[in-house]
Amino acid sequence: MAIKKGLFKTSVGRKNLMAVTGLFIVFFLIIHLIGNLILIIPDSFFPIEFWNNVANQHDMYNAYSHFLVHFWPITIVAWVLYAAIALHIIDALLITLNNWKAKGEKYAVIDNSTSTWISRNMGLIGTIIGIFIVMHMVQFWLQYKVLKIEHDLYNLVLETFKIWWMVVIYEIGIIALGFHIVHGIESAHRSLGIYPKKIMHIIKYIALYFGLVMALLYAIIPIILYFK
Amino acid sequence: MKLTLKIWRQDNAKTKGKLVSYDLSDLSSDMSFLEMLDVLNEQLAVKGERVVEFDHDCREGICGQCSLVINGQAHGPEGHYTTCQTHLRSFKDGETLYVEPFRANAFPVIRDLKVDRTSMDRIIQSGGYISSFTGMAPEANSTPIHHDIAESAFDSAACIGCGACVATCKNSSAALFVSAKVGHLAKLPQGQVERMERVIAMVTTHDDEGFGSCTHTGACAMVCPQEVQLLDIARMNFEYNRAVCLVKD
Repeated sequence: MAIKKGLFKTSVGRKNLMAVTGLFIVFFLIIHLIGNLILIIPDSFFPIEFWNNVANQHDMYNAYSHFLVHFWPITIVAWVLYAAIALHIIDALLITLNNWKAKGEKYAVIDNSTSTWISRNMGLIGTIIGIFIVMHMVQFWLQYKVLKIEHDLYNLVLETFKIWWMVVIYEIGIIALGFHIVHGIESAHRSLGIYPKKIMHIIKYIALYFGLVMALLYAIIPIILYFK
Repeated sequence: MKLTLKIWRQDNAKTKGKLVSYDLSDLSSDMSFLEMLDVLNEQLAVKGERVVEFDHDCREGICGQCSLVINGQAHGPEGHYTTCQTHLRSFKDGETLYVEPFRANAFPVIRDLKVDRTSMDRIIQSGGYISSFTGMAPEANSTPIHHDIAESAFDSAACIGCGACVATCKNSSAALFVSAKVGHLAKLPQGQVERMERVIAMVTTHDDEGFGSCTHTGACAMVCPQEVQLLDIARMNFEYNRAVCLVKD
């Protein structure tokens, strides 16, 4: 028997890669959310001459976007992020294909009472998020950062969320994201080998409330912009 | 009481199987599920038909030999029980029960409800042991072990290797089984010598035998007759990562 070992090999190791890349993406989501929240800060919140010539939400958001695109350390982190997302997807496909191969004939009766719907459908939820990310990046990232067609990102965002079905699509993507985070954070810590009962108990609740708060905060932004 | 059974009949691993319906009446609710299958087999034998083959041994819930998935639930509806300890009082009079073998690619069907679970034996053979001199049993107190650690190791050691965790897992992963065996020995001083080689070898064999990856749905721990904890899997992952980082080639 050839001994396979490696932090990212074997059925245990491959889950390490899922966990590390997943947690990095979660970290990014926090940063992304902070940027997004600028969109819903009321203009009155900005004191006159708040930040040089930034005195309103429109300028603040565009200044922030400009900073992200032109500050080189952010560019490095962005590439790490693209790699993390790609690895997360490839690893998920490898694990899923292997798990399908491991499955025997289908049961005539399937009882799902012993596990949650979310935990069983991370692949499906992840696919929805994947499609959402592609759409999201084509809409903003491609226009602003790559093709440089659109220079006023704030207006682009505002115009997008004036379309009601766009808001609906975003809400679906965000709900999927919330579900994915709730199971993902807990599962990632288990995969990495956090086994003390007390710690995992806390992590379980952190994952639940973190996912809920993230989804809520992300979700209110398109709705507020729609009614603006 | 009366029951309608839809039982999986399959001649061997190479042929296709199908569900066959049997009606049983005059059953006692105090019968165990396996005793009910005995009654069915007696009737089949009288009729000259081939009896339904199923695994069983101790019939007192400790050997891990009985299996069966009843209405989609490994070992039946009670949870944390073996099939032999599941009684007909767990079902309603007149109910239809689907009785299927444990299903996983690593568990090929031998016949009917009997499956080949030797893949789990090979995982044990690859590392689920300690190497030590045999002979007289040593004085128990010569190896001091903290009470809590002994209890925890015993909780993991309680795994009877029935395979319900695999049968119920949507990925057919034997992570709970391997983690119980790895955890049991990793917690005790006797298991320290081969601690790192053991977990790597057992995980490798687990994969080679065709079991899937754990995705932490937690279904395994819900059906485990010995209530092996889901956290044992996290413990195994810790042991694996520790071993990969520390073991010398």
